[in-house]
Amino acid sequence: MNNGGGKRINGGTEEDDDEDDVNGDLDAWERTYTDERSWESLQEDESGLLRPIDNKALYHSQYRRRLRSLSSIATAARIQKGLIRYLYVVIDLSRAASEMDFRPSRIAVIAKHVEAFIREFFDQNPLSQVGLVTIKDGVAYCLTDLGGSPESHIKALMNKLECSGDSSLQNALDLIDGYLNQIPSYGHREVLILYSALSTCDPGDIMETIQKCKKSKIRCSVIGLAAEMFICKHLCQETGGIYTVALDESHFKELILEHAPPPPAIAEFAIANLIKMGFPQRAAEGSMSICSCHKEAKVGAGYTCPRCKARVCELPTECCICGLTLVSSPHLARSYHHLFPIAPFDEVPPSHLNDPNNKLQRNCFGCQQSLLNPGNKPGLFVVCPNCKRRFCLDCDIYIHESLHNCPGCESFRHSKPVISNEE
Amino acid sequence: MASAPSKLYADDVSLVVVLLDTNPFFWSSSSLSFLQFLSHVLSFLNSILTLNQLNQVVVIATGYNSCDYIFDSSLDLKRSLENGRMPVMCSSLLQKLEEFSFKDEQLSKEEPEGRIKCSLLSGSLSMALCYIQRVFRSGALHPHPRILCLQGSPDGPEQYVAIMNAIFSAQRSVVPIDSCYMGAQNSAFLQQASYITGGVHHKPQNLDGLFQYLMTIFAADLHSRSFLHLPKPVGVDFRASCFCHKNTIDMGYICSVCLSIFCKHHKKCSTCGSVFGQAQSEAASASDKKRKTPET
Amino acid sequence: MPQVKIIAKNFMDMVASLPAIKLDMLYRNQFICEAILRSLPPLAKKYVLQMLYIDVPITSKSLQEWVIADGSSKHKVAIDRLIQLRVLEVIDRKKETAYKLNSTFQTNLRKHLINGGILPREPMPSNVTARLPTLEELDAYAHGQWECFLLQLISSGQAERSTSFSSSMMRIFQRGLLRQREKEVPRLTESGFQFLLMDTNAQLWYVIREYISNSEEQGVDQADLIAFLLELSFHTTGEAYSLNTLTDDQRAMIKDLADLGLVKLQQGRKESWFIPTKLATNLSVSLTDSSLRKQGFVVVETNFRLYAYSSSKLHCEILRLFSRVEYQLPNLIVGAITKESLYNAFENGITAEQIITFLQQNAHPRVAEKTPAVPENVTDQIRLWETDLNRVEMTPAHCYDEFPSRDVFEAASDFARVHCGLLWEDPKKMRMVVKAEIHMLMREHLRGNK
Repeated sequence: MNNGGGKRINGGTEEDDDEDDVNGDLDAWERTYTDERSWESLQEDESGLLRPIDNKALYHSQYRRRLRSLSSIATAARIQKGLIRYLYVVIDLSRAASEMDFRPSRIAVIAKHVEAFIREFFDQNPLSQVGLVTIKDGVAYCLTDLGGSPESHIKALMNKLECSGDSSLQNALDLIDGYLNQIPSYGHREVLILYSALSTCDPGDIMETIQKCKKSKIRCSVIGLAAEMFICKHLCQETGGIYTVALDESHFKELILEHAPPPPAIAEFAIANLIKMGFPQRAAEGSMSICSCHKEAKVGAGYTCPRCKARVCELPTECCICGLTLVSSPHLARSYHHLFPIAPFDEVPPSHLNDPNNKLQRNCFGCQQSLLNPGNKPGLFVVCPNCKRRFCLDCDIYIHESLHNCPGCESFRHSKPVISNEE
Repeated sequence: MASAPSKLYADDVSLVVVLLDTNPFFWSSSSLSFLQFLSHVLSFLNSILTLNQLNQVVVIATGYNSCDYIFDSSLDLKRSLENGRMPVMCSSLLQKLEEFSFKDEQLSKEEPEGRIKCSLLSGSLSMALCYIQRVFRSGALHPHPRILCLQGSPDGPEQYVAIMNAIFSAQRSVVPIDSCYMGAQNSAFLQQASYITGGVHHKPQNLDGLFQYLMTIFAADLHSRSFLHLPKPVGVDFRASCFCHKNTIDMGYICSVCLSIFCKHHKKCSTCGSVFGQAQSEAASASDKKRKTPET
Repeated sequence: MPQVKIIAKNFMDMVASLPAIKLDMLYRNQFICEAILRSLPPLAKKYVLQMLYIDVPITSKSLQEWVIADGSSKHKVAIDRLIQLRVLEVIDRKKETAYKLNSTFQTNLRKHLINGGILPREPMPSNVTARLPTLEELDAYAHGQWECFLLQLISSGQAERSTSFSSSMMRIFQRGLLRQREKEVPRLTESGFQFLLMDTNAQLWYVIREYISNSEEQGVDQADLIAFLLELSFHTTGEAYSLNTLTDDQRAMIKDLADLGLVKLQQGRKESWFIPTKLATNLSVSLTDSSLRKQGFVVVETNFRLYAYSSSKLHCEILRLFSRVEYQLPNLIVGAITKESLYNAFENGITAEQIITFLQQNAHPRVAEKTPAVPENVTDQIRLWETDLNRVEMTPAHCYDEFPSRDVFEAASDFARVHCGLLWEDPKKMRMVVKAEIHMLMREHLRGNK
């Protein structure tokens, strides 16, 4: 390392000047270690040897905790979820947002996670709409109107990330209140404020604005990036939202993604309604027809309105001829797992596997992996309370977090409790 | 949640999970007998395994009352070489299949017959996805997985939610679902499955040449697909099935609270319990009008 | 690594270059059909299967329609390969060419798909064979044999035990890899160094290829050898097969293969048998580009230190090619990548890319999980040191132009070439650059011509 060392020192001094503010005085190699915190994944065993922590068991127990907390909410009778949501995301672009206690800066972190949030939001809430509002120099601007396309929001946001001036909660709430009053009665009105500032600079009495929001049934939630503020807490309490303050970047990510799944609807917030909708069929690739939305002949797949047979280019939309709301049914189906959640599986102590009476199933029903640990020692596994099939821990997580089907219950005709009771 | 894996084998190494429809109610009415069908499929499986030493085939039987794994090339080829012949594949598959159909039949005797004789596609699809997740977990080196549904039975509308859940999960983990439908009417579920996940859906015109269809369309690995002319969807049936009568409908009522689909107007949502205030026609037109305002 | 592909391709080229009759003979063997099918590019495989049950010739035009426009280059490669291997027979009609599958190949492949693969020979019943080695033992044996062979190949003195290859045979393998000047210790050539950095399968194919081309000279039929080798790769790892089922030629060959670690020979009371190892069964895998990788052992740190968890002498030798080995513990080799050690490597013709791919491919599983497996500063520095050697070199020179005629120009350029002074010439515009040292001579020459 004789050669490299000398070079490093020379090169380093030049670069240090412009890098200093971002990375402190750490060297490149030091930085990789502070990020990974490799020493924290070590554990001492009985004989004092260092071992990597068994991440799998840890991860699984974390997941079980999450699942339990979710299911305890869900068991409270039939929960109504507000699935048609009209959400405004308010991004504070005041001076405080350019602070660098989050790396590289608060606003960069906010932008990154808002992008992920918007995608996740549309994945989980079909038919919902999002709008973006920014606060800058004490004034609130509407960056994008309510809309259903994630790309247009993200693009608009990425172009406007300069921060300056003070922040004003009241201005933002007034602006949004005006917009949200126009939406249909069955929609859920929500505001999510990402607040960096520690003060609000308002033209009038903010308490009145809060009462106005409460009256218009707007659910306001705030994620703070600095410290807890009374006015935010008050706002959330009054309107039924959640107020949280992020500790660091990963915590912030967790907090913002908590807002993606539909919140439990409070009956009085939105009036339940039946909406008539059509599920158009997709025409064959390369077929040609006159499109009703652009008024011109188009080649390629389009959709046909089931009521008046007019052709439209994109879903979801409204048929311009007969006014029927057209949606693609897969779009709706994305949210059905909220309606028919599968019961959490029961954990079974490993000793049961060696029980001679219980030698039915030694492989995970889902993935066929052996439930025995290497060395034929029985491992931990879970059992579906309905079909009594056994699953490995990995499948347990996959089934509850992504698949939302129990393979065991689905593959037996007589045991389909979830769906059959609908009749 | 699984994401797309980064490091893989060579582009054309594939894992094909074949979902075999064994519903006796369908095969008894089909022009192609189940035996003929099996001979086509066995040759197809053989050729997948021949294409690349690292290719892997898993077969799951989709029965009328149950689903089960009946073949896994990663297990069966290594094991049991007692008779010294490679067609262990055929023999072990056929043996397992026989056991499976027997069990499946036994289950059906306890059961009054339903109105639609569909097979349990949702179950086998879920199992296939669990298996593929395990392959993803197994490390950086794994074959490209895909699912092939060889389905003849009609759609079972009561499986709608479960099948859609499976489709979205497959889409999230980038697993294409190919489907070859051999029944009389086309299957809306399979069309949607292939369309959403980027797989190929095809309904062979002539079932006698099934092997050639399988070879030409479904043997193509995911890498070669980007160069080949494969059948394009001849329209996708996006109809849904309603929650109240399990009918397949193209127009219906949606509960604004939980998005449940109903074919008729109800007073109360049977899924979430919301009470709908207004009468049917008013509600529809009123909401239509209201919706228009914010969008313009 | 690009070399791997070239080697594997060369082997198939060798198959392709066999005379038509021999190829047809080869295709009578089901395993060869299968192995050939597997070695094809993905698109070509697809075509073969698609055409398997089509008995009439297919015009090239309709074949072209199977692919979309983007794939036409791949299509061409696939078709060329198929024709080269005589899997596709070209039928020329009046206006257009049509293709048809080789009938022997076709029948065999059909048989294979319908009946499933059949094992080339029955394994021996377990009551005859004594205790068979476990798969792990077999793997260890195969690697031991192979490393021993490699060690002997690069420096005959170092190997603990010598293989039974005759020294003439060894010399054939060493041809191209080692260069021996008179009364000097043989030194590795450029390709020799590159050879060592290849993965096992590629090395294996190189040796096998040499072996096959050599056996031709000794009167053994190439086609037979190829057939036997490919057949061997379809045996089951770890099963015992009787030697009595082999022909004489094959029996002679299997001894050599045992030396390479492809098979293990065992002797029972009455019979003797061979057990194919993983190396043998992977033979047909390596024909395709996908390589089964073994577990890595190297950890490279950001401070250019290198830890290799290995007790193998061969690994130590390989690491020595481009790093300074500092000390060796029973299961650990510790070294450092230094400028000097790398300059050594570059001088020997190893490129920075080869070193980096070697380090990446053999990364210890723990570091292989991370990206990048080798720290970026190290890979960058290796590349930088390599480019250090490719600096611009200054040579004082003179430029000549406006030659009166082409003859004069050509005579002048010949003159400069004879005196080793020609740096650059452009015959079209009749200009040239000549080293300053011969400028005087050149001027004399040009004046003399006038």
